[in-house]
Amino acid sequence: MMRRSMTLWLLLATCAGISLFLIKHEVQEREDRLNALHREILADQEAIQVLNAEWSYLNRPDRLEHLIRELSESRAANQLQLTSLDMLPQLLSEPDDLALANRGGNGIILPMIRPVSIKAGAQ
Amino acid sequence: MTHTRLNAADIPVPEKTLKFEGSGKQALEQGRTRLLIAGTVFALAFCVIAARVIDVSVFERAEEPRLAEERGTLTHKTGRADIVDRNGMLLATTLNVPSLYADPKYIMDPIESAAKLRTVLPELGHADLIAKFSDKKRFTWIKRNLTPRQQYAVNKLGIPGLYFQNESKRIYPQGPLTAHIVGRAGFDDVGLSGIEKNFDSMLRDGSDPLRLSIDIRIQHILREELQTQIDAFDGIGAAGIVMDVNSSEIVAMISLPDFDPNRRDQISDDAMFNRATLGVYEMGSTFKIFNTAMALDYGTTTMRNGYDASKPIRIARFTINDDHAKNRWLSVPEIFMYSSNIGSVKMALDVGGDRQKAFMKRLGFLEASAVELPERGRPLAPSPWRPINTMTISFGHGIAVSPIQLANGVASIVNGGVRHPATLLRRDTTEMLVGERVISEKTSIAMRRLLRLVVEKGTGRNANAKGYLVGGKTGTAEKPGRGGGYQRKALLSSFVAAFPVNDPRYVVLAMVDEPKGNKSSYGYATGGWVAAPAVKRIVERAAPFLNVTPVDEEAPEIRRSLMVKIPQTKGKKALASF
Repeated sequence: MMRRSMTLWLLLATCAGISLFLIKHEVQEREDRLNALHREILADQEAIQVLNAEWSYLNRPDRLEHLIRELSESRAANQLQLTSLDMLPQLLSEPDDLALANRGGNGIILPMIRPVSIKAGAQ
Repeated sequence: MTHTRLNAADIPVPEKTLKFEGSGKQALEQGRTRLLIAGTVFALAFCVIAARVIDVSVFERAEEPRLAEERGTLTHKTGRADIVDRNGMLLATTLNVPSLYADPKYIMDPIESAAKLRTVLPELGHADLIAKFSDKKRFTWIKRNLTPRQQYAVNKLGIPGLYFQNESKRIYPQGPLTAHIVGRAGFDDVGLSGIEKNFDSMLRDGSDPLRLSIDIRIQHILREELQTQIDAFDGIGAAGIVMDVNSSEIVAMISLPDFDPNRRDQISDDAMFNRATLGVYEMGSTFKIFNTAMALDYGTTTMRNGYDASKPIRIARFTINDDHAKNRWLSVPEIFMYSSNIGSVKMALDVGGDRQKAFMKRLGFLEASAVELPERGRPLAPSPWRPINTMTISFGHGIAVSPIQLANGVASIVNGGVRHPATLLRRDTTEMLVGERVISEKTSIAMRRLLRLVVEKGTGRNANAKGYLVGGKTGTAEKPGRGGGYQRKALLSSFVAAFPVNDPRYVVLAMVDEPKGNKSSYGYATGGWVAAPAVKRIVERAAPFLNVTPVDEEAPEIRRSLMVKIPQTKGKKALASF
């Protein structure tokens, strides 16, 4: 009786010891990983800071203007090319209906079918 | 006691208790007591430990966190917060910049190391490097503030004895573009000028970026156009402001010449001077905006009235003349549009000195602007306020204010008559704006019409950016000379405009210091020839960024909203010289 309970206790203690060791080991490993991640995050944040500064430096308006002049065909928009949405002529019917009516097979909205003048003449 | 196997029968039936006598008994008693005490102590200790284990593992306590907490914060601290523009573009930041130093003890071959290092940092002197590398000291700087690329290259060489040390450095990626606004911080990250100085402690404590109202795109446009005018008219400097009329946020502000805050050693005093906020100037005719608004608001005259401007006014030893003299009776709109000094003086005299002073005070022209910069100029106002001052102030002489105050004043005149103090910080859109009423809404609408008239038919025609309904006023002031009096050749030419003037969104001010006339301006160096064209180009270029769409200027509703009836005196025909 004595001996059996003794063995049981010993077994339990060993189990507890082993699991304690494993857990501790795991915790330590995770802590190391966490610290490494923290360091990495800080290093990344510092790198982002540098990149932000570089982004701002590269986005100097005079540099962009120069690059556009050198490399692109596009020129500053003429004031006649600027307008707002509500300055456009009104649609003939509700935009939803039109969009549904004109929707092609693959969901692409096709141009309006009826020109303004025809509708006006029919009335 | 010993155990031996015996037959049960052999064992004599023991007596009930064993009895020891003498020293034997005493020893046994002592042993028992000790055992008991030790056992009790151990049992107690185990009980305590068990209780504690249960307490710690089973019961919860209030101060115990439910989850594991991180140690420290996870944000990269630089020691000084960033400054960004209204769209979040970085204007000032602090970076950890590596500096290269050597420990000569560990440098094996100074000559070879020097040659190797010069392949990536060719600007270092060969002999100098060898001297440094063969030094007896244990520490010597090789190069301060390397770029990340240089650091990488040096690291790649793998020269033993070379080390890096990180130092924090304030960087201004936009260079001179916002130099006067952001200012600069010196060694040890102490703010020396501009926003850097004004918000020094806040920038040092906080980590959130400080968001300004500046838009670097508009800032660039303003700077470029003003520089164009300086170059074309050989000016000594310029100032420009773009301000939101409704919130008084400064969208762009330029003072030329400017400086690159990244190059601490190359900054001259003239470049450091902020003409837009620190300089106070007699603004000249742009003040007629306030003079006219004042007379209309006090009701001493109306848009249909007028004054005789046929004869110059003589007072004491001064003679007040008109630059664009018409030598006849002029209506109030005409006085404004031809910028008549004589008419303006008569308008101011009708209002009176006391009321004029009170009006100027309401517009904030008697104390320094509230803008968030340490460089704020105190206006120069007359004291006592004599009748001669009332007369000269009507056309912008005898009172000196900073350009930012002028822009702020015009914004409050055209926005419906409410003054908000100028600010360099981006306002929260939900923020309730409390302003001070300066003039009535009716006067404000009349002023918009008059400003449009100047650009359509008066002295400001060069500012007419088609489709944007620019309305403005020219100003040409003679700068005061050394020994009193004014210099006829040293001018301060300015143009202040609001657009689109039927429902103003922005005020634009351009001012060029000491321009000289050239062929393109027919020898004129006045505001209408020097500053107005700059304002036109600024409006044309900036409007798309500011979300202002061009309109049809001939549309009837716009015509009606800006129409001014110019009354005529009897017997005289309307002048066809518009």
